[in-house]
Amino acid sequence: MRVLVVSEDPDFFRSSSWVAQQLGGEILGIHPSESRYVDKVFVPKLEGAWELPLAEFASTLKPDVVIAGGTKRDRTFAFSLAGKLRSSVASDVIDAKLEGSSLMVRRPVYSGVGIATLRLKLPAVITVQKNTMEPNLLKGEVERVDLPRSVITLKERKTAQQSVSLDKAKIIVSVGRGMGSKDNVKYAEELARLLNGAVGGSRPVTAEMGWLPEDRQIGLSGNKVRPQLYIALGISGQPQHIAGIRDSKVIVAVNKDKNAPISENCDYLVVGDAIEFCKVMIGRLSK
Amino acid sequence: MSVVACFKVVPDDTSVRVIGGKVETNVPVKISTYDKNAIEEAVRVKEKLGWKAIGVTVGNTDRKSIRDALSMGLDEVVAISAGYLDVAGTAMALAETIRGISPKLVIMAETTTDSSTSALPPYLAQILGYSLVSYVRSLSIQDSSITAERSVGDVEVVEAPLPAVVSVTGEINTPRTPSVKQIMESAKKPVKQINFSSQPLAELVEVQPFVTTRKKVIIEKPMNEAVDQLINYLKGEGVL
Ligand SMILES: Cc1cc2nc3c(=O)[nH]c(=O)nc-3n(C[C@H](O)[C@H](O)[C@H](O)COP(=O)(O)OP(=O)(O)OC[C@H]3O[C@@H](n4cnc5c(N)ncnc54)[C@H](O)[C@@H]3O)c2cc1C
Repeated sequence: MRVLVVSEDPDFFRSSSWVAQQLGGEILGIHPSESRYVDKVFVPKLEGAWELPLAEFASTLKPDVVIAGGTKRDRTFAFSLAGKLRSSVASDVIDAKLEGSSLMVRRPVYSGVGIATLRLKLPAVITVQKNTMEPNLLKGEVERVDLPRSVITLKERKTAQQSVSLDKAKIIVSVGRGMGSKDNVKYAEELARLLNGAVGGSRPVTAEMGWLPEDRQIGLSGNKVRPQLYIALGISGQPQHIAGIRDSKVIVAVNKDKNAPISENCDYLVVGDAIEFCKVMIGRLSK
Repeated sequence: MSVVACFKVVPDDTSVRVIGGKVETNVPVKISTYDKNAIEEAVRVKEKLGWKAIGVTVGNTDRKSIRDALSMGLDEVVAISAGYLDVAGTAMALAETIRGISPKLVIMAETTTDSSTSALPPYLAQILGYSLVSYVRSLSIQDSSITAERSVGDVEVVEAPLPAVVSVTGEINTPRTPSVKQIMESAKKPVKQINFSSQPLAELVEVQPFVTTRKKVIIEKPMNEAVDQLINYLKGEGVL
Protein backbone atom coordinates (compact mmCIF):
# COMPACT_ATOMS: atom_id res chain seq x y z
CA MET A 1 0.00 0.00 0.00
CA ARG A 2 1.36 3.38 -0.98
CA VAL A 3 -0.45 6.45 0.29
CA LEU A 4 0.33 9.90 -1.10
CA VAL A 5 -0.53 13.03 0.91
CA VAL A 6 -0.66 16.37 -0.91
CA SER A 7 -1.63 19.92 -0.06
CA GLU A 8 -0.38 23.42 -0.69
CA ASP A 9 -1.70 24.40 2.76
CA PRO A 10 0.01 23.44 6.07
CA ASP A 11 -3.25 22.78 7.96
CA PHE A 12 -4.65 20.66 5.18
CA PHE A 13 -1.34 18.81 4.88
CA ARG A 14 -1.48 18.00 8.59
CA SER A 15 -5.14 16.91 8.36
CA SER A 16 -4.47 14.75 5.29
CA SER A 17 -1.40 13.20 6.91
CA TRP A 18 -3.43 12.19 9.92
CA VAL A 19 -5.99 10.45 7.71
CA ALA A 20 -3.13 8.72 5.84
CA GLN A 21 -1.54 7.48 9.08
CA GLN A 22 -4.84 5.86 10.06
CA LEU A 23 -4.68 3.83 6.85
CA GLY A 24 -1.05 2.77 7.28
CA GLY A 25 1.35 1.58 4.58
CA GLU A 26 4.15 3.61 3.04
CA ILE A 27 3.29 7.32 3.32
CA LEU A 28 4.69 9.76 0.78
CA GLY A 29 3.99 13.47 0.77
CA ILE A 30 4.12 16.43 -1.60
CA HIS A 31 4.23 19.80 0.14
CA PRO A 32 5.96 23.14 -0.52
CA SER A 33 8.03 22.73 2.66
CA GLU A 34 9.65 19.89 4.60
CA SER A 35 7.45 17.80 6.90
CA ARG A 36 7.84 14.83 9.23
CA TYR A 37 4.21 13.78 9.01
CA VAL A 38 5.24 11.39 6.20
CA ASP A 39 7.99 8.87 5.47
CA LYS A 40 9.26 10.85 2.53
CA VAL A 41 8.31 14.31 1.34
CA PHE A 42 8.78 15.64 -2.18
CA VAL A 43 9.26 19.40 -2.09
CA PRO A 44 8.42 21.19 -5.36
CA LYS A 45 8.36 24.95 -5.95
CA LEU A 46 4.67 25.67 -6.38
CA GLU A 47 5.03 28.45 -8.93
CA GLY A 48 2.83 29.59 -11.80
CA ALA A 49 -0.07 27.35 -12.76
CA TRP A 50 1.32 24.31 -10.94
CA GLU A 51 -1.70 22.04 -10.51
CA LEU A 52 -1.45 20.07 -13.77
CA PRO A 53 2.35 19.68 -13.78
CA LEU A 54 2.13 18.47 -10.19
CA ALA A 55 -0.51 15.91 -11.19
CA GLU A 56 1.87 14.70 -13.90
CA PHE A 57 4.67 14.30 -11.35
CA ALA A 58 2.39 12.65 -8.76
CA SER A 59 1.19 10.05 -11.26
CA THR A 60 4.79 8.79 -11.60
CA LEU A 61 4.75 7.85 -7.88
CA LYS A 62 2.04 5.23 -8.59
CA PRO A 63 0.00 5.74 -5.42
CA ASP A 64 -2.80 3.38 -4.32
CA VAL A 65 -4.50 6.10 -2.31
CA VAL A 66 -4.08 9.86 -2.70
CA ILE A 67 -5.23 12.08 0.15
CA ALA A 68 -5.27 15.75 -0.78
CA GLY A 69 -6.29 18.95 0.96
CA GLY A 70 -9.40 20.92 0.09
CA THR A 71 -8.16 24.25 -1.26
CA LYS A 72 -9.45 24.95 -4.75
CA ARG A 73 -5.96 24.41 -6.19
CA ASP A 74 -5.59 21.16 -4.19
CA ARG A 75 -8.84 19.91 -5.71
CA THR A 76 -7.84 20.91 -9.22
CA PHE A 77 -4.56 19.04 -8.77
CA ALA A 78 -6.15 15.99 -7.12
CA PHE A 79 -8.92 15.41 -9.63
CA SER A 80 -6.62 15.99 -12.60
CA LEU A 81 -4.44 13.26 -11.10
CA ALA A 82 -7.56 11.12 -10.66
CA GLY A 83 -8.37 11.56 -14.34
CA LYS A 84 -4.82 10.51 -15.28
CA LEU A 85 -5.02 7.43 -13.04
CA ARG A 86 -8.66 6.71 -14.04
CA SER A 87 -9.21 6.31 -10.29
CA SER A 88 -12.26 6.52 -8.07
CA VAL A 89 -12.80 9.88 -6.33
CA ALA A 90 -14.47 11.52 -3.35
CA SER A 91 -14.14 15.05 -1.94
CA ASP A 92 -14.66 16.69 1.47
CA VAL A 93 -14.14 13.33 3.14
CA ILE A 94 -14.64 13.31 6.93
CA ASP A 95 -13.36 9.78 7.56
CA ALA A 96 -11.69 7.02 5.60
CA LYS A 97 -10.76 3.43 6.35
CA LEU A 98 -9.54 0.44 4.37
CA GLU A 99 -11.85 -2.54 4.08
CA GLY A 100 -10.28 -5.38 2.12
CA SER A 101 -9.19 -3.88 -1.16
CA SER A 102 -11.57 -0.90 -0.95
CA LEU A 103 -11.43 2.47 0.72
CA MET A 104 -14.60 3.27 2.68
CA VAL A 105 -15.24 7.01 3.01
CA ARG A 106 -17.93 9.25 4.43
CA ARG A 107 -18.71 12.68 3.02
CA PRO A 108 -21.50 15.26 3.01
CA VAL A 109 -23.95 15.21 0.09
CA TYR A 110 -27.03 17.22 -0.93
CA SER A 111 -25.30 20.42 0.12
CA GLY A 112 -24.65 19.05 3.59
CA VAL A 113 -28.12 17.67 4.37
CA GLY A 114 -26.89 14.07 4.23
CA ILE A 115 -23.74 12.04 4.81
CA ALA A 116 -22.98 9.41 2.21
CA THR A 117 -20.88 6.30 2.69
CA LEU A 118 -19.00 5.28 -0.45
CA ARG A 119 -16.94 2.20 -1.24
CA LEU A 120 -14.05 3.27 -3.48
CA LYS A 121 -12.02 0.90 -5.63
CA LEU A 122 -8.25 1.44 -5.56
CA PRO A 123 -6.54 3.49 -6.77
CA ALA A 124 -8.59 6.17 -5.05
CA VAL A 125 -8.10 9.94 -4.92
CA ILE A 126 -9.84 11.83 -2.15
CA THR A 127 -9.77 15.33 -0.71
CA VAL A 128 -10.44 15.69 3.00
CA GLN A 129 -11.90 18.29 5.32
CA LYS A 130 -9.68 19.89 7.93
CA ASN A 131 -9.47 18.14 11.28
CA THR A 132 -7.76 19.07 14.53
CA MET A 133 -5.67 15.90 14.90
CA GLU A 134 -1.88 15.84 15.31
CA PRO A 135 -0.19 13.12 13.23
CA ASN A 136 2.84 11.17 14.46
CA LEU A 137 6.29 12.27 13.38
CA LEU A 138 7.83 9.92 10.79
CA LYS A 139 11.14 9.91 8.94
CA GLY A 140 10.32 12.88 6.74
CA GLU A 141 13.13 12.19 4.26
CA VAL A 142 13.33 15.13 1.82
CA GLU A 143 13.62 15.15 -1.96
CA ARG A 144 13.37 18.40 -3.94
CA VAL A 145 11.65 18.08 -7.31
CA ASP A 146 11.40 20.15 -10.46
CA LEU A 147 7.98 20.16 -12.05
CA PRO A 148 7.40 19.84 -15.80
CA ARG A 149 6.30 23.01 -17.60
CA SER A 150 2.61 23.85 -17.73
CA VAL A 151 0.69 24.52 -20.94
CA ILE A 152 -1.14 27.14 -18.88
CA THR A 153 0.50 30.51 -18.25
CA LEU A 154 -0.13 32.42 -15.07
CA LYS A 155 -0.27 36.11 -16.00
CA GLU A 156 -1.17 37.61 -12.68
CA ARG A 157 -1.95 36.57 -9.11
CA LYS A 158 -3.65 38.78 -6.55
CA THR A 159 -2.94 37.06 -3.26
CA ALA A 160 -5.65 37.04 -0.64
CA GLN A 161 -4.41 38.12 2.77
CA GLN A 162 -5.82 35.99 5.59
CA SER A 163 -5.94 38.74 8.20
CA VAL A 164 -7.53 36.70 10.96
CA SER A 165 -7.78 32.96 10.72
CA LEU A 166 -11.43 31.90 10.62
CA ASP A 167 -10.36 28.31 11.34
CA LYS A 168 -9.24 29.10 14.84
CA ALA A 169 -11.58 31.96 15.83
CA LYS A 170 -13.52 31.38 19.05
CA ILE A 171 -16.21 33.86 18.05
CA ILE A 172 -17.30 34.65 14.50
CA VAL A 173 -19.64 37.45 13.47
CA SER A 174 -20.88 36.61 10.01
CA VAL A 175 -22.72 38.84 7.57
CA GLY A 176 -25.19 38.06 4.81
CA ARG A 177 -27.06 39.96 2.16
CA GLY A 178 -29.49 41.09 4.87
CA MET A 179 -26.87 43.57 6.13
CA GLY A 180 -28.03 45.74 3.25
CA SER A 181 -24.76 47.35 2.10
CA LYS A 182 -20.99 47.17 2.20
CA ASP A 183 -20.99 50.23 4.41
CA ASN A 184 -23.11 48.47 7.04
CA VAL A 185 -20.49 45.74 7.46
CA LYS A 186 -18.69 48.17 9.80
CA TYR A 187 -21.30 47.42 12.48
CA ALA A 188 -20.44 43.74 12.32
CA GLU A 189 -16.73 44.58 12.41
CA GLU A 190 -17.19 46.74 15.50
CA LEU A 191 -19.19 43.98 17.19
CA ALA A 192 -16.52 41.43 16.33
CA ARG A 193 -13.80 43.71 17.69
CA LEU A 194 -15.60 44.05 21.04
CA LEU A 195 -16.11 40.27 21.20
CA ASN A 196 -12.51 39.60 20.19
CA GLY A 197 -13.84 37.64 17.24
CA ALA A 198 -13.39 37.43 13.48
CA VAL A 199 -15.69 38.56 10.67
CA GLY A 200 -16.88 36.18 7.95
CA GLY A 201 -19.68 36.20 5.41
CA SER A 202 -21.98 34.28 3.11
CA ARG A 203 -21.02 33.55 -0.48
CA PRO A 204 -23.00 36.44 -2.02
CA VAL A 205 -21.37 39.10 0.20
CA THR A 206 -17.86 37.71 -0.36
CA ALA A 207 -17.53 36.05 -3.76
CA GLU A 208 -20.23 38.04 -5.54
CA MET A 209 -20.55 41.53 -4.05
CA GLY A 210 -17.15 41.95 -2.47
CA TRP A 211 -18.37 43.43 0.83
CA LEU A 212 -15.65 41.26 2.39
CA PRO A 213 -12.60 39.60 0.78
CA GLU A 214 -13.32 36.22 -0.79
CA ASP A 215 -11.24 34.31 1.71
CA ARG A 216 -13.80 35.30 4.38
CA GLN A 217 -16.46 33.09 2.77
CA ILE A 218 -18.04 30.54 5.07
CA GLY A 219 -19.93 27.48 3.84
CA LEU A 220 -19.82 24.43 1.64
CA SER A 221 -17.59 26.11 -0.95
CA GLY A 222 -15.71 28.32 1.52
CA ASN A 223 -14.28 27.96 5.01
CA LYS A 224 -15.72 25.39 7.39
CA VAL A 225 -15.56 26.87 10.87
CA ARG A 226 -15.93 25.59 14.43
CA PRO A 227 -16.22 28.57 16.81
CA GLN A 228 -17.74 28.55 20.28
CA LEU A 229 -20.14 31.26 19.14
CA TYR A 230 -21.33 31.98 15.61
CA ILE A 231 -23.50 35.05 15.05
CA ALA A 232 -25.24 35.07 11.65
CA LEU A 233 -26.46 38.55 10.72
CA GLY A 234 -28.96 38.71 7.84
CA ILE A 235 -28.07 35.26 6.56
CA SER A 236 -30.98 33.14 5.29
CA GLY A 237 -29.36 29.81 6.18
CA GLN A 238 -29.46 27.87 2.91
CA PRO A 239 -28.00 24.37 3.26
CA GLN A 240 -24.73 25.46 1.58
CA HIS A 241 -24.15 28.02 4.31
CA ILE A 242 -25.16 25.70 7.15
CA ALA A 243 -22.69 23.10 5.81
CA GLY A 244 -19.85 25.40 6.89
CA ILE A 245 -21.03 26.11 10.44
CA ARG A 246 -22.27 22.75 11.72
CA ASP A 247 -19.40 22.33 14.17
CA SER A 248 -20.13 25.65 15.93
CA LYS A 249 -21.02 25.24 19.59
CA VAL A 250 -23.71 27.93 19.72
CA ILE A 251 -25.34 29.55 16.70
CA VAL A 252 -27.17 32.86 17.04
CA ALA A 253 -29.09 34.23 14.07
CA VAL A 254 -30.48 37.70 13.62
CA ASN A 255 -33.07 37.82 10.88
CA LYS A 256 -36.12 39.93 10.25
CA ASP A 257 -37.87 36.86 8.86
CA LYS A 258 -38.87 34.53 11.68
CA ASN A 259 -39.32 31.68 9.19
CA ALA A 260 -35.99 32.00 7.38
CA PRO A 261 -34.40 28.54 6.97
CA ILE A 262 -31.76 29.47 9.55
CA SER A 263 -34.48 29.32 12.24
CA GLU A 264 -34.23 25.51 11.89
CA ASN A 265 -30.47 25.52 12.33
CA CYS A 266 -29.71 27.94 15.14
CA ASP A 267 -29.83 27.92 18.92
CA TYR A 268 -31.13 31.47 19.29
CA LEU A 269 -32.96 33.51 16.70
CA VAL A 270 -33.37 37.22 17.38
CA VAL A 271 -36.20 38.39 15.14
CA GLY A 272 -35.40 41.88 13.93
CA ASP A 273 -33.11 44.21 12.02
CA ALA A 274 -29.47 43.15 11.96
CA ILE A 275 -28.10 46.72 12.11
CA GLU A 276 -30.28 47.63 15.07
CA PHE A 277 -29.11 44.45 16.77
CA CYS A 278 -25.46 45.38 16.21
CA LYS A 279 -25.98 48.89 17.58
CA VAL A 280 -27.71 47.68 20.75
CA MET A 281 -25.24 44.85 21.27
CA ILE A 282 -22.27 47.21 20.75
CA GLY A 283 -23.83 49.56 23.33
CA ARG A 284 -24.13 46.75 25.89
CA LEU A 285 -20.62 45.41 25.32
CA SER A 286 -18.85 48.75 25.44
CA LYS A 287 -20.31 49.52 28.89
CA MET B 1 -16.84 25.83 -34.26
CA SER B 2 -18.77 24.80 -31.24
CA VAL B 3 -18.97 25.16 -27.51
CA VAL B 4 -20.40 22.50 -25.20
CA ALA B 5 -22.17 23.26 -21.92
CA CYS B 6 -22.51 20.32 -19.53
CA PHE B 7 -25.39 20.34 -17.07
CA LYS B 8 -26.94 17.97 -14.57
CA VAL B 9 -30.56 17.54 -13.52
CA VAL B 10 -30.68 17.26 -9.72
CA PRO B 11 -33.25 17.21 -6.91
CA ASP B 12 -33.93 20.87 -5.99
CA ASP B 13 -31.46 21.58 -3.17
CA THR B 14 -33.86 23.96 -1.44
CA SER B 15 -36.41 21.12 -1.14
CA VAL B 16 -34.11 18.25 -0.09
CA ARG B 17 -34.52 17.83 3.65
CA VAL B 18 -34.62 15.28 6.38
CA ILE B 19 -38.08 13.81 6.78
CA GLY B 20 -38.81 10.95 9.17
CA GLY B 21 -35.12 10.21 9.80
CA LYS B 22 -34.27 9.95 6.12
CA VAL B 23 -32.93 12.32 3.47
CA GLU B 24 -35.92 12.90 1.19
CA THR B 25 -34.62 13.30 -2.36
CA ASN B 26 -37.85 12.48 -4.10
CA VAL B 27 -38.54 16.17 -4.71
CA PRO B 28 -38.97 18.30 -7.86
CA VAL B 29 -35.86 18.37 -10.07
CA LYS B 30 -34.07 21.29 -11.71
CA ILE B 31 -30.85 22.16 -13.49
CA SER B 32 -28.15 22.30 -10.79
CA THR B 33 -27.73 25.97 -9.77
CA TYR B 34 -24.32 26.80 -11.24
CA ASP B 35 -24.86 24.62 -14.31
CA LYS B 36 -27.17 27.43 -15.43
CA ASN B 37 -24.17 29.73 -15.31
CA ALA B 38 -22.31 27.27 -17.56
CA ILE B 39 -25.21 27.27 -20.03
CA GLU B 40 -25.41 31.07 -19.92
CA GLU B 41 -21.68 31.38 -20.62
CA ALA B 42 -21.93 29.00 -23.59
CA VAL B 43 -24.85 30.98 -24.99
CA ARG B 44 -22.83 34.19 -24.64
CA VAL B 45 -19.98 32.57 -26.61
CA LYS B 46 -22.51 31.64 -29.28
CA GLU B 47 -23.89 35.18 -29.41
CA LYS B 48 -20.47 36.79 -29.55
CA LEU B 49 -18.58 34.45 -31.87
CA GLY B 50 -21.34 32.68 -33.76
CA TRP B 51 -20.31 29.24 -32.54
CA LYS B 52 -22.84 26.47 -32.18
CA ALA B 53 -23.80 25.91 -28.51
CA ILE B 54 -24.56 22.31 -27.60
CA GLY B 55 -25.76 21.09 -24.21
CA VAL B 56 -24.87 17.65 -22.86
CA THR B 57 -26.56 16.18 -19.81
CA VAL B 58 -25.97 12.82 -18.15
CA GLY B 59 -28.18 10.97 -15.70
CA ASN B 60 -31.75 12.11 -15.22
CA THR B 61 -32.98 13.37 -18.61
CA ASP B 62 -36.03 15.23 -17.32
CA ARG B 63 -37.75 16.79 -20.35
CA LYS B 64 -38.73 20.01 -18.67
CA SER B 65 -35.20 20.74 -17.46
CA ILE B 66 -33.85 20.08 -20.95
CA ARG B 67 -36.47 22.47 -22.36
CA ASP B 68 -35.26 25.06 -19.82
CA ALA B 69 -31.70 24.67 -21.08
CA LEU B 70 -32.78 24.98 -24.72
CA SER B 71 -34.93 28.01 -23.91
CA MET B 72 -31.85 29.78 -22.57
CA GLY B 73 -30.37 29.60 -26.07
CA LEU B 74 -28.59 26.28 -26.60
CA ASP B 75 -29.01 25.00 -30.18
CA GLU B 76 -29.41 21.36 -29.23
CA VAL B 77 -29.02 18.97 -26.34
CA VAL B 78 -27.57 15.48 -26.14
CA ALA B 79 -29.35 13.68 -23.29
CA ILE B 80 -27.48 10.66 -21.98
CA SER B 81 -29.76 8.50 -19.81
CA ALA B 82 -28.00 6.57 -17.10
CA GLY B 83 -28.70 5.14 -13.69
CA TYR B 84 -26.27 5.73 -10.84
CA LEU B 85 -22.97 6.90 -12.27
CA ASP B 86 -19.91 8.00 -10.34
CA VAL B 87 -17.55 10.76 -11.49
CA ALA B 88 -15.47 8.33 -13.55
CA GLY B 89 -18.57 6.95 -15.30
CA THR B 90 -19.99 10.41 -15.95
CA ALA B 91 -16.67 11.54 -17.39
CA MET B 92 -16.60 8.50 -19.72
CA ALA B 93 -20.17 9.15 -20.86
CA LEU B 94 -19.45 12.83 -21.53
CA ALA B 95 -16.13 12.11 -23.24
CA GLU B 96 -17.73 9.70 -25.71
CA THR B 97 -20.25 12.32 -26.81
CA ILE B 98 -17.89 15.29 -26.68
CA ARG B 99 -15.27 13.54 -28.84
CA GLY B 100 -17.96 13.18 -31.49
CA ILE B 101 -18.70 16.92 -31.34
CA SER B 102 -15.02 17.97 -31.16
CA PRO B 103 -15.71 21.42 -29.67
CA LYS B 104 -13.20 24.19 -28.99
CA LEU B 105 -14.49 24.71 -25.49
CA VAL B 106 -16.36 22.72 -22.84
CA ILE B 107 -18.01 24.77 -20.09
CA MET B 108 -19.12 23.16 -16.82
CA ALA B 109 -19.92 24.40 -13.32
CA GLU B 110 -17.45 24.30 -10.44
CA THR B 111 -19.75 21.86 -8.64
CA THR B 112 -23.30 20.50 -8.48
CA THR B 113 -25.72 20.83 -5.58
CA ASP B 114 -26.29 17.08 -5.10
CA SER B 115 -22.90 15.42 -4.75
CA SER B 116 -20.72 18.57 -4.93
CA THR B 117 -17.52 16.63 -5.64
CA SER B 118 -15.97 19.28 -7.97
CA ALA B 119 -14.04 16.46 -9.63
CA LEU B 120 -15.74 16.15 -12.99
CA PRO B 121 -14.17 19.09 -14.89
CA PRO B 122 -10.52 18.14 -14.18
CA TYR B 123 -11.29 14.42 -14.63
CA LEU B 124 -12.99 15.00 -17.97
CA ALA B 125 -10.21 17.34 -19.17
CA GLN B 126 -7.69 14.55 -18.58
CA ILE B 127 -9.75 11.97 -20.44
CA LEU B 128 -10.27 14.30 -23.38
CA GLY B 129 -6.66 15.52 -23.31
CA TYR B 130 -7.89 19.15 -23.27
CA SER B 131 -6.37 21.89 -21.14
CA LEU B 132 -8.23 22.86 -17.97
CA VAL B 133 -9.01 26.07 -16.15
CA SER B 134 -11.09 25.66 -13.00
CA TYR B 135 -13.12 28.14 -10.90
CA VAL B 136 -13.41 30.71 -13.69
CA ARG B 137 -15.20 33.93 -12.88
CA SER B 138 -14.55 35.74 -16.15
CA LEU B 139 -13.63 34.41 -19.54
CA SER B 140 -12.50 35.74 -22.90
CA ILE B 141 -11.69 33.78 -26.03
CA GLN B 142 -8.94 34.42 -28.58
CA ASP B 143 -8.11 32.50 -31.78
CA SER B 144 -6.39 29.57 -30.20
CA SER B 145 -6.47 30.33 -26.49
CA ILE B 146 -8.59 31.61 -23.63
CA THR B 147 -7.81 34.14 -20.93
CA ALA B 148 -9.60 33.52 -17.68
CA GLU B 149 -9.79 34.98 -14.22
CA ARG B 150 -10.00 32.23 -11.59
CA SER B 151 -11.26 32.47 -8.03
CA VAL B 152 -9.13 30.11 -5.98
CA GLY B 153 -8.93 32.09 -2.74
CA ASP B 154 -6.35 34.20 -4.56
CA VAL B 155 -7.48 35.64 -7.87
CA GLU B 156 -5.41 34.41 -10.81
CA VAL B 157 -5.39 35.45 -14.45
CA VAL B 158 -4.29 32.59 -16.69
CA GLU B 159 -4.00 31.84 -20.39
CA ALA B 160 -4.72 28.33 -21.67
CA PRO B 161 -4.63 26.79 -25.14
CA LEU B 162 -7.79 25.51 -26.86
CA PRO B 163 -9.44 23.06 -26.82
CA ALA B 164 -10.12 23.54 -23.13
CA VAL B 165 -12.46 22.52 -20.35
CA VAL B 166 -13.39 25.35 -18.01
CA SER B 167 -15.37 25.15 -14.81
CA VAL B 168 -17.19 28.37 -13.93
CA THR B 169 -18.28 29.81 -10.59
CA GLY B 170 -21.78 31.06 -9.83
CA GLU B 171 -20.45 34.61 -9.99
CA ILE B 172 -19.38 34.56 -13.66
CA ASN B 173 -22.73 35.80 -14.96
CA THR B 174 -26.44 36.02 -14.22
CA PRO B 175 -28.31 33.28 -16.09
CA ARG B 176 -31.06 34.75 -18.24
CA THR B 177 -34.76 34.15 -17.80
CA PRO B 178 -36.01 33.03 -21.23
CA SER B 179 -38.85 34.89 -22.94
CA VAL B 180 -42.15 33.18 -23.79
CA LYS B 181 -41.05 33.14 -27.44
CA GLN B 182 -37.79 31.38 -26.57
CA ILE B 183 -39.67 28.85 -24.48
CA MET B 184 -42.04 28.14 -27.41
CA GLU B 185 -39.18 27.82 -29.88
CA SER B 186 -37.26 25.46 -27.66
CA ALA B 187 -39.83 22.76 -28.41
CA LYS B 188 -38.54 22.58 -32.00
CA LYS B 189 -34.87 22.25 -31.11
CA PRO B 190 -33.24 18.81 -31.46
CA VAL B 191 -32.73 16.57 -28.45
CA LYS B 192 -30.65 13.48 -29.10
CA GLN B 193 -31.21 10.58 -26.68
CA ILE B 194 -28.43 8.14 -25.81
CA ASN B 195 -28.16 5.41 -23.19
CA PHE B 196 -25.07 4.75 -21.15
CA SER B 197 -24.11 2.48 -18.31
CA SER B 198 -20.90 1.62 -16.57
CA GLN B 199 -19.68 -0.18 -13.46
CA PRO B 200 -18.96 2.51 -10.85
CA LEU B 201 -15.53 2.73 -9.21
CA ALA B 202 -17.22 4.53 -6.33
CA GLU B 203 -20.19 2.59 -5.05
CA LEU B 204 -22.80 4.46 -3.01
CA VAL B 205 -23.46 2.37 0.09
CA GLU B 206 -25.91 4.62 1.91
CA VAL B 207 -26.96 8.19 2.62
CA GLN B 208 -27.81 9.15 6.18
CA PRO B 209 -29.29 12.40 7.44
CA PHE B 210 -26.76 14.87 8.79
CA VAL B 211 -28.59 16.39 11.72
CA THR B 212 -27.17 18.68 14.35
CA THR B 213 -29.60 19.33 17.16
CA ARG B 214 -30.08 23.00 17.87
CA LYS B 215 -32.13 24.69 20.58
CA LYS B 216 -34.15 26.88 18.19
CA VAL B 217 -35.13 29.47 20.83
CA ILE B 218 -36.95 32.38 19.21
CA ILE B 219 -36.45 35.82 20.77
CA GLU B 220 -39.06 38.22 19.44
CA LYS B 221 -39.35 41.41 21.48
CA PRO B 222 -38.13 45.02 21.38
CA MET B 223 -34.41 44.98 20.50
CA ASN B 224 -33.17 46.27 23.88
CA GLU B 225 -34.91 43.45 25.71
CA ALA B 226 -34.02 40.89 23.04
CA VAL B 227 -30.32 41.68 23.35
CA ASP B 228 -30.44 41.50 27.17
CA GLN B 229 -32.12 38.14 27.00
CA LEU B 230 -29.64 36.86 24.41
CA ILE B 231 -26.67 38.00 26.53
CA ASN B 232 -28.11 36.07 29.48
CA TYR B 233 -28.51 32.94 27.38
CA LEU B 234 -24.97 33.23 26.02
CA LYS B 235 -23.52 33.72 29.50
CA GLY B 236 -25.44 30.62 30.57
CA GLU B 237 -23.86 28.72 27.66
CA GLY B 238 -20.45 29.91 28.78
CA VAL B 239 -19.60 31.43 25.40
CA LEU B 240 -19.62 35.08 26.47
C1 LIG C 1 -22.85 24.84 -5.21
C2 LIG C 1 -23.17 25.96 -4.28
C3 LIG C 1 -22.27 26.29 -3.28
C4 LIG C 1 -22.57 27.32 -2.40
N1 LIG C 1 -21.68 27.59 -1.40
C5 LIG C 1 -21.98 28.54 -0.48
C6 LIG C 1 -21.10 28.83 0.61
O1 LIG C 1 -20.02 28.24 0.74
N2 LIG C 1 -21.49 29.78 1.50
C7 LIG C 1 -22.67 30.47 1.41
O2 LIG C 1 -22.97 31.31 2.27
N3 LIG C 1 -23.50 30.23 0.37
C8 LIG C 1 -23.18 29.30 -0.58
N4 LIG C 1 -24.04 29.09 -1.63
C9 LIG C 1 -25.18 30.03 -1.82
C10 LIG C 1 -26.37 29.69 -0.94
O3 LIG C 1 -27.19 28.75 -1.60
C11 LIG C 1 -27.21 30.95 -0.66
O4 LIG C 1 -27.58 31.54 -1.87
C12 LIG C 1 -26.46 32.00 0.18
O5 LIG C 1 -25.92 31.40 1.34
C13 LIG C 1 -27.40 33.09 0.59
O6 LIG C 1 -26.68 34.15 1.17
P1 LIG C 1 -27.37 35.16 2.19
O7 LIG C 1 -27.96 34.41 3.30
O8 LIG C 1 -26.35 36.19 2.50
O9 LIG C 1 -28.47 35.90 1.31
P2 LIG C 1 -30.04 35.67 1.22
O10 LIG C 1 -30.38 34.27 0.97
O11 LIG C 1 -30.51 36.70 0.26
O12 LIG C 1 -30.57 36.00 2.68
C14 LIG C 1 -30.64 37.27 3.24
C15 LIG C 1 -31.36 37.12 4.58
O13 LIG C 1 -31.33 38.37 5.26
C16 LIG C 1 -32.59 38.59 5.87
N5 LIG C 1 -32.69 40.05 6.00
C17 LIG C 1 -32.95 40.97 5.04
N6 LIG C 1 -32.90 42.20 5.55
C18 LIG C 1 -32.60 42.07 6.86
C19 LIG C 1 -32.39 43.00 7.93
N7 LIG C 1 -32.49 44.32 7.74
N8 LIG C 1 -32.08 42.51 9.14
C20 LIG C 1 -32.00 41.16 9.37
N9 LIG C 1 -32.17 40.25 8.39
C21 LIG C 1 -32.47 40.71 7.15
C22 LIG C 1 -33.59 37.98 4.94
O14 LIG C 1 -34.78 37.65 5.66
C23 LIG C 1 -32.84 36.73 4.46
O15 LIG C 1 -33.11 35.65 5.31
C24 LIG C 1 -23.77 28.07 -2.52
C25 LIG C 1 -24.66 27.74 -3.54
C26 LIG C 1 -24.38 26.71 -4.42
C27 LIG C 1 -25.35 26.39 -5.50
